[in-house]
Order: sequence, then structure tokens, then C-alpha cells
Amino acid sequence: MVATDEELVAKSMDGDVDSFNQLVLRWERPIYALAYRVIGRDEDARDVAQETFLRAFRALPGFKGQAKFSSWLYRIALNLCRDWIRRKKRTPVVDMPEGVDIAELASEQGPVESIEDLVARQEMSRIVAQGMKLLPDEQRTAIVLKEYHGLTFQEIADLQGCPLSTVKTRLYQGLTVLRRHLESQGMTSYESGKES
Amino acid sequence: MSIKFTCEDKQTLIAYLYGEVDQETRQAVDAHLASCAACEKEVTALGDVRSELGLWVPPEVELDFKIVKKSELPSATVLRPARWWNAVPVWAQAAAAILVLAAGAAIANVRVQSGPEGFSVSTGWMRPAAVAAPIATPNDEWKPALVALEQQLRNEIRSTRDQGARLSAASASAPIDDVMIRRVRQMIAESEQRHERALAMRLIEFQRDVNVQRRADLVNISRGMINNYDQLQQQRQTINNLIRVSSTPQQ
Repeated sequence: MVATDEELVAKSMDGDVDSFNQLVLRWERPIYALAYRVIGRDEDARDVAQETFLRAFRALPGFKGQAKFSSWLYRIALNLCRDWIRRKKRTPVVDMPEGVDIAELASEQGPVESIEDLVARQEMSRIVAQGMKLLPDEQRTAIVLKEYHGLTFQEIADLQGCPLSTVKTRLYQGLTVLRRHLESQGMTSYESGKES
Repeated sequence: MSIKFTCEDKQTLIAYLYGEVDQETRQAVDAHLASCAACEKEVTALGDVRSELGLWVPPEVELDFKIVKKSELPSATVLRPARWWNAVPVWAQAAAAILVLAAGAAIANVRVQSGPEGFSVSTGWMRPAAVAAPIATPNDEWKPALVALEQQLRNEIRSTRDQGARLSAASASAPIDDVMIRRVRQMIAESEQRHERALAMRLIEFQRDVNVQRRADLVNISRGMINNYDQLQQQRQTINNLIRVSSTPQQ
């Protein structure tokens, strides 16, 4: 039987480091993905993710359980991302891996996806990442939390410290900017194109 | 009372897009979209954007974060160049120290001699100094007098022995002159002082030679350590590069 976050948190607060490491194992990937999409740099996203768990571990005695453990982690990670962006004083840059062997990737994907499809998908991923880079931090963070982490409007509002209506506005404005960017890059409708 | 949706209500539109509306609002939006081509197109386009956002996937990286208790950490967490002398046993260090001293003494050509005149120490590649050789000092006026005094003393001792022999032969003994004893003692004291001065000078010279040799050895050791440290740094850099390259996500 898999222990819940709350059970692991309770054991961790009693000094059980292994329980906390189970939480780390469970949440390291989402936290890294959040940091990567907000910051846009692999190395810095790793640092932010690692620092998130270190701070969480140190602050664990002060965690009262008002919020979900994951929300608490997201808050720490977002604060670190905000600090990183402020410190760097620049817009996030998305680094795309270079020198990737397309044929090797295609073989990993199996026979369903052709090399042409894979190349096209990579190109679209790059365009999406570029579009996200155009957004203000608040809009990008709101979209990341909603699209990739499935948070509710209210949870995003709590994390961003803003009214519910502001979250909806940020999402609408962000998606609209992305839509224009994708259309300008010829990506009007990938999914619709596949269906048609 | 039914809910009415308008084209300007973007907040409700975005909530509809993400499915966070109640049943009544959903029906109102559906009804509006059925009659408003612009809103219907916008909802479709934003839905496509959401689909395309799914294409952006972070690289697959090996994270493996772990909280480790301090007590579980190895005692030495910082890599430092190993001190070679830590691996040498104590007895070997002692033997090496004796060897170095012996080598230093050999280099300095230290000679320790004992004779009727007492101990003498000489150093350097020079002929061993005569024990009784006078030490050059600016004020040497007392030396001739001392030599004359010594000669006189020897003569007197010799004559005393002769007299003593004659007296003993005659079964008669005479008390030793107190003045003579004092003079002998004084001469012995002066001789000891001379030897002490000479010994001090030899020791100073020996110490200076050892220091020179020690400095030269330290310079050589330091150069060797610097070379070893540079090589270690290069190896560490190479390992770090390999680790970085091996941990780079492959897409």
C-alpha cells in the first residue's frame, strides 16, 4: 500500500529521513519540470529543484498542513524561480538540446512515428518554447501551473497571491499571445491538421 | 434565472475552456457558441493552443535528489590531494629523520673527536681544526701570555714531579703549593672556555649548513607537490567533464 503525502510528511516530521526521501522521489520530477518551464534552463532548473527540497526539509517543522504538501512545494519552487529571474534580470531562455540523433530518437519512439513526424514534433516543441518565452512571468507561470500541473484556478491564485479573476485573465491573455505566435510560425492547428 | 453569456466575458470563456464551470454556465456558453462564429472560432483556436502546449516536454534528466543525514556523510567530503607522509608508518618516518640527520652531517662533514684535550667538533670540507688552535678574536694580547704561562706551568709541574720523586724516594712528602693549584685550576677553566667557544662556532656553522640544505630540499619538495597538484586538478577536471557529458540528457 502506497503511503499518502500526508502520512509521509507526518513520519518525516518525526525525523524519518527515508520518508522524506520518498516524497522527494515522488515530487522531484514535477518540481524540476515546473522550474524548467518557468526558468527555461536545465542546469538552473535542477538547482532550483534541489534547493526546493532542501528548503522544504529544513522548513518541515513549520509545515502545519493547511495546504497540500504539493502546493507547499510548488510555492517554495515558484519563490525560488522568482528569485532566480530577479537575480538574473533577464527573460527566461529556453535551451534546446543540440546535436540530437534524429534516427536514434525515432528508433526509441517505435515504428509508429516516422522520422519526419519526429522532426516536425521537435520543431513545434521549439516554437512552443519560444512562444512561452515571450510571455510575462506571471502569465507563463499561470499557464505552466494550469496546463502541466493541473492546478485549479483557486490553487493558482493562492500560489500567485492574486484574485481568482486575475488568474483567469492571465491565462486568457497568455493563451492569446501564444495563439498569435503559433499562427505566425505556421502552426495554426497541429492536432486539427492531423485529424483533417 | 438563466445565465447569459456574452462575447466580452473572457473569464467565463477561459473557465469553460478548462472545464471549471458549473452545468448551468456550460449550457449558456454552449448556446452562445452555437450562434456566435467568432467565439466558437476563438474557443477552438485556444483549444488547439492547449494541445500544442503539450508538445513542450522537459528533457529527461536523472535527478535522484536525496536528503542525507550528516552522520551518514563520509568524514572527508572535500577532495584534497593526499598527503604522502600520512601513508608512511611512524617507524619509517623516524628512520627517515635519522637518515636525513646523518646525511646532513655527512654533507656538512661533521667530525666529533675526543682526546686528552676534550671533545672537538669540526664541520665543512676543511681540515679539522686543531683543538688548541686559538680562535681569532680582535683582542689577542692575552694569548702569548697564556702560552708562556702554560709553558711555565708545564715546567713547574715537571720540576715538581722530579722533586716529588726525589722526596718520595727520601720517604718525605711536601704539601702542594696552594698558589700552584689555583693557577692550574685557572688554566683549566680558561681552556674549557676556549673549547666552548670553538664548539659553539662549529655548531653555528653546522646549523647554517643544515638550514641551507633543508631549504633546498623544501624547494624541491614544493616543486614536486605543485606538479602533482596540477596533474590532480587536470584529472579532476577531466572526470567532471566526463560526468557532465554523461549526465547531459539525450533527446
